[in-house]
Amino acid sequence: MPLTMTRAGEVNEIKRIGGKEEVRKFLETLGFVVGSRVSVVAENHGNVIVNIKDSRIAISQEMANKIMV
Amino acid sequence: MPIKIALAGNPNSGKTTLFNALTGSNQFVGNWPGVTVEKKEGKLKGHKDVVITDLPGIYSLSPYTLEEVVARNYLIHEHPDAILNIIDGTNLERNLYLTTQLLELGIPTVIAINMMDVVKKNHDVIDVARLGQELGCPVVEISALKGIGIQEAAKKVVFLAQEGLPTAPVHKFAEEVENVLTQIEEKITGVKEEEKRFFAIKLFERDEKIKELLDCVPEVEDIVKETEEKMDDDSESIITNERYTYLSSIIEHCYVTKSKRKLTVSDKIDRIVTNRWLALPIFAIVMVIVYYVSVTTVGTMATDWVNDGVFGDGWHLFGIGSSEYTEKSDEFSDASLKTEAYFDAAEAAGIDVEALRASWEDGELDETALAAFETEAQAAGLTGEAEVMDDETGEVAETIPVALQDFESAVAVREPDPADYGVWVPSIPVLIEDGLTAINCVDWLQDLILSGIVGGVGAVLGFVPQMLVLFLFLAFLESCGYMARIAFIMDRIFRKFGLSGKSFIPMLIGTGCGVPGVMASRTIENDRDRKMTIMTTTFIPCGAKLPIIALIAGALFQGAWWVAPSAYFVGVAAIVLSGIMLKKTKMFAGDPAPFVMELPAYHLPTVGNVLRSMWERGWSFIKKAGTIILLSTILLWFLQGYGVENGSFGRVTDLNNSILAAIGGVIAPLFAPLGWGDWKAAVAAVTGLIAKENVVGTFGVLYGGLDEVAENGWQIWDAMRMEFTMLSAYSFLVFNLLCAPCFAAIGAIRREMNSAKWTWFAIGYQCIFAYAVSMCIYQLGMLFTTGAFGIGTVVAFLIVALILYLLFRPYHEKNKLTVKVRV
Repeated sequence: MPLTMTRAGEVNEIKRIGGKEEVRKFLETLGFVVGSRVSVVAENHGNVIVNIKDSRIAISQEMANKIMV
Repeated sequence: MPIKIALAGNPNSGKTTLFNALTGSNQFVGNWPGVTVEKKEGKLKGHKDVVITDLPGIYSLSPYTLEEVVARNYLIHEHPDAILNIIDGTNLERNLYLTTQLLELGIPTVIAINMMDVVKKNHDVIDVARLGQELGCPVVEISALKGIGIQEAAKKVVFLAQEGLPTAPVHKFAEEVENVLTQIEEKITGVKEEEKRFFAIKLFERDEKIKELLDCVPEVEDIVKETEEKMDDDSESIITNERYTYLSSIIEHCYVTKSKRKLTVSDKIDRIVTNRWLALPIFAIVMVIVYYVSVTTVGTMATDWVNDGVFGDGWHLFGIGSSEYTEKSDEFSDASLKTEAYFDAAEAAGIDVEALRASWEDGELDETALAAFETEAQAAGLTGEAEVMDDETGEVAETIPVALQDFESAVAVREPDPADYGVWVPSIPVLIEDGLTAINCVDWLQDLILSGIVGGVGAVLGFVPQMLVLFLFLAFLESCGYMARIAFIMDRIFRKFGLSGKSFIPMLIGTGCGVPGVMASRTIENDRDRKMTIMTTTFIPCGAKLPIIALIAGALFQGAWWVAPSAYFVGVAAIVLSGIMLKKTKMFAGDPAPFVMELPAYHLPTVGNVLRSMWERGWSFIKKAGTIILLSTILLWFLQGYGVENGSFGRVTDLNNSILAAIGGVIAPLFAPLGWGDWKAAVAAVTGLIAKENVVGTFGVLYGGLDEVAENGWQIWDAMRMEFTMLSAYSFLVFNLLCAPCFAAIGAIRREMNSAKWTWFAIGYQCIFAYAVSMCIYQLGMLFTTGAFGIGTVVAFLIVALILYLLFRPYHEKNKLTVKVRV
């Protein structure tokens, strides 16, 4: 399911990342690679703040929808 | 040859703090060639021959962002003697991702693990020796914020640089990937042995930009494709995955964490601060505080002091004696009002008081003439009427009868000299004037220096204290981590009209002054978003535009309450319309980059870092006041002060005869379709370029022959009503709100755009947009109120149609983000 549907605090493993190549590549350098463990810290009108590899990354709803866990 | 050391690391890893700690005040700030990415260099404290370059904060050496390209080009072309790679100890894996790439460059590298104090507080353990072994380079523990371990890190990196031995990366990827990389390495020629691995990996990733750096590009497409098929992934993702797999394996050995993913303090704060319901109210409160303190209270006090004190008449040190002086001064103005009224009454009664009045105005009252006049006045039983004006409304608030006794006491009151009260410090213009008079400076040069240079630049420098206060807040919000959250909160709203969440800050600041507003756009990383923000920020009415609004509202709209709010509405609407229209042009088209941004952990910044950041921004503004603004004010001083008078060219006493008036006459017809084709209005708009409040001052001179008018210019309201209609006045107001900002703001735009072409484009756009909007308002307004229909009306309708087309035409997405960098 997409990352936007997970509950805050729940730890999940990334299964697949979709979206445009350029953004996907940027996400990869930030640690969003298949197999990484990710959890949602906070949510604001669809935009989410997630915890990945011990850092906090804010991503928009469109992008979070493309990260499958 | 000085030793060159590059400081590299992720954003938010504490790089700037470390750089400041290493170099102290020995810094040089500039831009990387051809781009608006800030470049900082500095000499290592205690080592005059060691130069440290602060690379932009990056996550990898890929070619996707400007920062990455800049950093990469520097490392390859300049080939620093050593790299100091700072990594965040609380976020090892992600930070080491960049490290693996840096190590491939073959440049000696020292790793400094920052935030060790936090790591230890969390009871986590990093096996530094083991990590060093695994990565094949020295590792030191530091805390940049607390200043621990910095000297050791510096010593190590200098030692390594002096030794100059190239390093080879120790890390290995999966066997099949390594095999391909070896094959590619063998094909590469003309590159140093230790750099081969870097180029091999980049070729494998099909990095287009790296090919430009190679003399001959080997043909590797076949092997890359083969591997991709074998591993069922694209080459770039293969490498990324390999790096992370490798990092997970070494972190397993070197890092023991006790805190098993429970919520950190930052997480808890984020839960509240970015909460669906609380985010906006909290944000509003923070902004109100920032705005209130920097624009209305402290900032205004400081600005008034600079404008009226340092660059005005002078000031009372620590305010000593200023209240007594104000009292006396009020007494005097009251008395002179009565005296004037009495003289007026005498004149009306046919008594000749011209000589007496002149002597009184010069401050050398002719006592005998006065006695004679008093006798005459008594005989005539003369009483005058002093009219006290209300500064706010310009109406007569009170009428005081002045009898002879009142006149006698009033005429004797002398103008107080501020220097007699308390500790009086003369202003800079006064000091310079005294100095120039002492050396017998020629008149025109004295005038150039005093009214041209000191007056013009002084008016601009007056904003410095206010800006410093604002910058102080911004620096604090930025370094404590809240600024990143603001962008996150505001992003959804601003995204709708093509701006970024970070565009809000410049606009908010712009309500105070456009200059710091434009400068605050620095925090926007995305180049397109930043350019667009710079172009639209000055649409918001700034503090200096308020007098224009007050003048128009008072003179033509009987002070209607809605004029001022409507000005803000026009500003916001201009931003929204421009955002949507520009986003659809070729220049700004591009993928609406989805919002992805790292949020740093909340922390209290050090006082030193906040002050340094504040000063850097303030100083760059002051420097600008010394260049662009100086030249512009000299030019305008000349145009304003010179012209043909009494048949010969020279200094003019009447602004009507100046070159500026002549120019105004030429350009005035241009504004006829806007409803104010009078040269006076055109000239006023031009003088607004120095500072927007000058528009009111210029009207004062042109309509009333007054040297000084109140802030809302009530003295000239009647004259204005003769020249303007409500509609043309509103059109004039809108034009002045939206057109090119003052020179200071243009200078700021120039600096932030870092390109003359873009600056001209921004100013051109603003002027054309302002012209179009004002024209529509006037022409359509005329049509609806008087039914007047002409060519102008047709053009106005065409403009409306064009704007609607630009707003609603389909959006064409550009497929590729092209990052142009001069190498």
